[in-house]
Amino acid sequence: MRKPFFATIMAVLAFSGFLWAPAAAEPRGSLRVAIATMPNSLDVPVAAERQATTTAWHLYNSLTWLDDSGKPVPALAESWTVSEDGTTYTFQLRKGVTFHNGEPFTADSVVFSWKRGKGNKMQWKKKWAMAKSVEKVDDYTVRVRTDGPNPILLRVIADYWAMVPPKYIAKVGEKGFAKHPVGTGPFRFVEWKKGDRIVFEANPDYWEKGLPKIKKLIFRPIPESSTRVAAIRTGEVDIVGRLSSEEAGTLKGLKNIKVITYPVDRVYYIAFNNMTSGKGTPVENREVRLAMNYAVDVDAILDALFEGHGRPLTGFVTYKNLGYDKDLKPYGYDVKKAKALMKKAGYEKGFKIDFACPAGAYTNFEQVCQAIQGYLGDIGVEADLKIMESGKYWDLEAKKELPPMFGDSWSESSGESLPRLQGALGGKSASFSAWEDPKILDYLKKIGTTVDDGARAKLYVELQRYMYENPPFIYLYQPVAFEAINVKVKNYKPRPPENYFLKDTWIEE
Amino acid sequence: MADAAQTKGTGLLVDQEADQGLGAKLVYVGRLLWRDKSGLLGLIMFLTVVFSAVLAPWISPHPPLKQDLRAAKRPPVWAAKGDISHPLGTDNLGRDLLSRIIYGSRVSLTVGFFGVLIAGSLGLVIGLVSGYAGGRTDNVIMGGVNLILALPYLVFVVFIAAILGRSLINVILIFGFTDIPIFVRITRGEVLRLRESGFVESAKSIGAGRLRIIFDHILPNLLGPLITIATFEMSAMIFYEAGLGFLGLSVPPSVPSWGNMLATGRKYLTIYPWIATFPGLAIVFTGLGMNLFGDWLRDALDPRMRRLKR
Amino acid sequence: MQRYILSRLFQSIMILFGVLFIIFFMLQATGDPVSLMVSRNASPEEIEAVREAMGFNRPLIVQFGDFIAGAVVGDFGDSLRHKQPAMDLILERLPATVELATTALFMAMLIGIPLGLLGGSNPGSLWDTLARGAGLIGQTIPNFWLALILIIVFAVKLGWLPAFGRETWQFLGITLPTRSVILPAFALGLFTMGQLVRFTRSAVMEIRSEDFVRTAYSKGLSDRQIYIRHILRNAAIPLISIIGVQFGYLLSGSIYIETICSWPGLGNLLAEAIGNRDFALVQAIAFFTSLVVVTLNLLTDIAYGLADPRIRYGD
Repeated sequence: MRKPFFATIMAVLAFSGFLWAPAAAEPRGSLRVAIATMPNSLDVPVAAERQATTTAWHLYNSLTWLDDSGKPVPALAESWTVSEDGTTYTFQLRKGVTFHNGEPFTADSVVFSWKRGKGNKMQWKKKWAMAKSVEKVDDYTVRVRTDGPNPILLRVIADYWAMVPPKYIAKVGEKGFAKHPVGTGPFRFVEWKKGDRIVFEANPDYWEKGLPKIKKLIFRPIPESSTRVAAIRTGEVDIVGRLSSEEAGTLKGLKNIKVITYPVDRVYYIAFNNMTSGKGTPVENREVRLAMNYAVDVDAILDALFEGHGRPLTGFVTYKNLGYDKDLKPYGYDVKKAKALMKKAGYEKGFKIDFACPAGAYTNFEQVCQAIQGYLGDIGVEADLKIMESGKYWDLEAKKELPPMFGDSWSESSGESLPRLQGALGGKSASFSAWEDPKILDYLKKIGTTVDDGARAKLYVELQRYMYENPPFIYLYQPVAFEAINVKVKNYKPRPPENYFLKDTWIEE
Repeated sequence: MADAAQTKGTGLLVDQEADQGLGAKLVYVGRLLWRDKSGLLGLIMFLTVVFSAVLAPWISPHPPLKQDLRAAKRPPVWAAKGDISHPLGTDNLGRDLLSRIIYGSRVSLTVGFFGVLIAGSLGLVIGLVSGYAGGRTDNVIMGGVNLILALPYLVFVVFIAAILGRSLINVILIFGFTDIPIFVRITRGEVLRLRESGFVESAKSIGAGRLRIIFDHILPNLLGPLITIATFEMSAMIFYEAGLGFLGLSVPPSVPSWGNMLATGRKYLTIYPWIATFPGLAIVFTGLGMNLFGDWLRDALDPRMRRLKR
Repeated sequence: MQRYILSRLFQSIMILFGVLFIIFFMLQATGDPVSLMVSRNASPEEIEAVREAMGFNRPLIVQFGDFIAGAVVGDFGDSLRHKQPAMDLILERLPATVELATTALFMAMLIGIPLGLLGGSNPGSLWDTLARGAGLIGQTIPNFWLALILIIVFAVKLGWLPAFGRETWQFLGITLPTRSVILPAFALGLFTMGQLVRFTRSAVMEIRSEDFVRTAYSKGLSDRQIYIRHILRNAAIPLISIIGVQFGYLLSGSIYIETICSWPGLGNLLAEAIGNRDFALVQAIAFFTSLVVVTLNLLTDIAYGLADPRIRYGD
């Protein structure tokens, strides 16, 4: 009975808020979010992984912001212009914005944040170094220059360039800032009990009027996924992420819980090596690689390990990325064709090959690798699977010392597949690539300097077709993320790179 | 340590029984077992595990690695959707759980047996040297023993596993070497005790050589305590193997081991509980058996305990 | 006595040096962590630059010298991931681990010792069966497994206890534990409980069979007198050493339980550091836990020596 009444009041309030802006509802209630990792820092340029950056971002803003469709829109920059040659961006900054400590946000803050962000010790310095220079034109205008045209600059700015207060950092030092971070964001820092909880509260002077709607925001790190499930069931937290499909399945029928699924911009694949360990092995043969793609039943893997959730890949560009080729179909499971291809390649009797996968890094990935080992066995490829501790695995990957076949995954947050393509297929210039194909490198160079979206999309399609005929990977699947929220959480909108912004989420008591 | 009183019994017991024939001894042990039913039960449980390990290829309904994704996550036979061809159900890749548990006993027993063999034989030799030589040699050896005991066990194991990679041999070596100190301590303690008891002195006085003393007097007396400790340590290794598997650091994931099965099954615990429950029960079953038997063994080999029971 | 303490102290210091040696070289062998510190789009030149900046390309012996010099003053460098001194991170987590270990030890003692006394004094009775059962359970049930099941039963199904995390209660400026510690402490203390039951039970049985106790019985002393004067006192001495060792184990061995229950302690930090191959942090934790274990052993030995004069001369 209470709910409809309450909803009416909310509607009336919202409407009246429209008429008398200052009467907007005060932020209230507290929201408790379980995260799957222990954040290393709440400083965006230092935060090591996605869950840490997502947590940290609630304290900050950038110049731009991506709207729900992934398009860059104004944030701390009210507007911007781009020069003819596409290398100079001029941003008009929003006036009257202050940091949580009262320091005003100006062009100096932008220049300082950029210089700090590209500093040697920063995890994401490359993202800041994409700009060749950042200059102050006047107090509320900055000019950003790049080396050449950079199609993804505005997205990278939205994703990584958190604005920080220069005077505050000068006063308290980097250590002081790490202990008590300050930004212009919708929430401000209250306390951080390491390994236990991170507490933020609503910023009363936030520049987006009426936001945030939550008074208190609490993040609780819970690395063990079964414990996260228990915590949402007992009502100890309101939002949990990184669930397996089975875990989400058990939560589905419960009346106080809502399960959310959405596709993640991440690809899983088995990579081949033609630069070091794979030299002179059958993986250099195009037919063999095609045969392997036909031999693996990706649908069955998804059914068995992910309750059917996920999307078989047709390549390295996912279906929401720019330039995705709708006409390509997944190879499908076809043992006959695979065997024919093996015969054509001269490996009718099969061969032995080394194969490695990382342990514990991705959901069920060890099982996926075991399943692939089984499928390859059916066409005579005897893959000797080694599962390695993930730290060691990435160390070997960076040194290009993994075996000729190795499993991996790559996520992307910019909405384009270029960084992922460059990273995994860049050959000598990319540390985590073990594959070199001059044609692919050629395409990557062209895409990286084409600013026009339409022209870029066309290049992506051509590249996908080439990579379909000459697969450098066994393409597996694009996963689906499972999250669960308490039904009283409203307007929660997670995004494909597995992040979320809770400034306009609220709690209905 | 503080049990000088213990000297009286053990030595005499062994010497008396050494005169009896093997058959008589077996009958005697059998009588003891029959009297203490829990020891018998423990032995039967342990032997069940041993037999399933030895007979695995003949008694498992399916090959342990055979996966069938279309038959994944079947519940055990008594549940609503159970199926007689998979009596304990299947795991997330559709592999038969019963078969994997049967084969898993091979991994557990291999790790336990060879781990104890390595730790026990090295520990025995080192302990003998340490106890016999005394002085500086003893100090150095005991320093090393204390060093290993002071290491944070898990950190140590994680590193070796990371360096060497996941394999059965590595797991055996890790346990074999980290477990040496216990055997060294036991052996050295016995040697010191026997030396103090005047036992060795009297042997020396009638001109017996060192090796002679070791083989004739010290080893027979050590046998009881060592076998008892070996039983407990073997069960502890089976336990730790499961712990390593749980962290994803034991044998390669495709090898059916109880630890690996637990690690996989824990993700499904709330939904498909059988995947992790049965390997968990297998670990508890084996551990119970070995500990019951070990307890009995210790009491049986320690005459004071026996006296108490009568 | 002084000589005994001094020689023990010297031994402990030697052990700690050995530990430093081992953790340094073991970690070296796992490969360097640079690949984890750079983004996935990094070029080989960048990786080399980071390696240079972190000092990973200096000769090992130089790195080792630096390491020892720092370790002596508790400086293990900055955690690679957290960019903060490793020791600070440890000290932040210490209270949670101490709370958990202490509670676990108390729970184990509270159940284990009385049960062991009862069982040991009445061999063959129901109490004895219970004691043997408890001892066996402690040794055969994997505690990480038990913790998962306890969460499902007591937090999810019954709702009596929180499913994860640590809640504390501030009273007069003192941080006190709340019921959130019960579940992880029970799971963690189970093994210790089993050890204590077994040990107490067999100690009592052993002492009961000693000549002096049998003499006391024949002299017609009451059960109560015998119990207090002979059995309890004699069982207490070796029990000290068991408790000391077990406390060390509890303080360093909670990696499983802390991860499963999201307990913000050292075990949790260690699991995370191992996963990230955070060199400096793992070394610091490894050394710190060794320090705790060695110190506890030293104190136990001294207490033991004070309680039982025979020991001093034995060594």
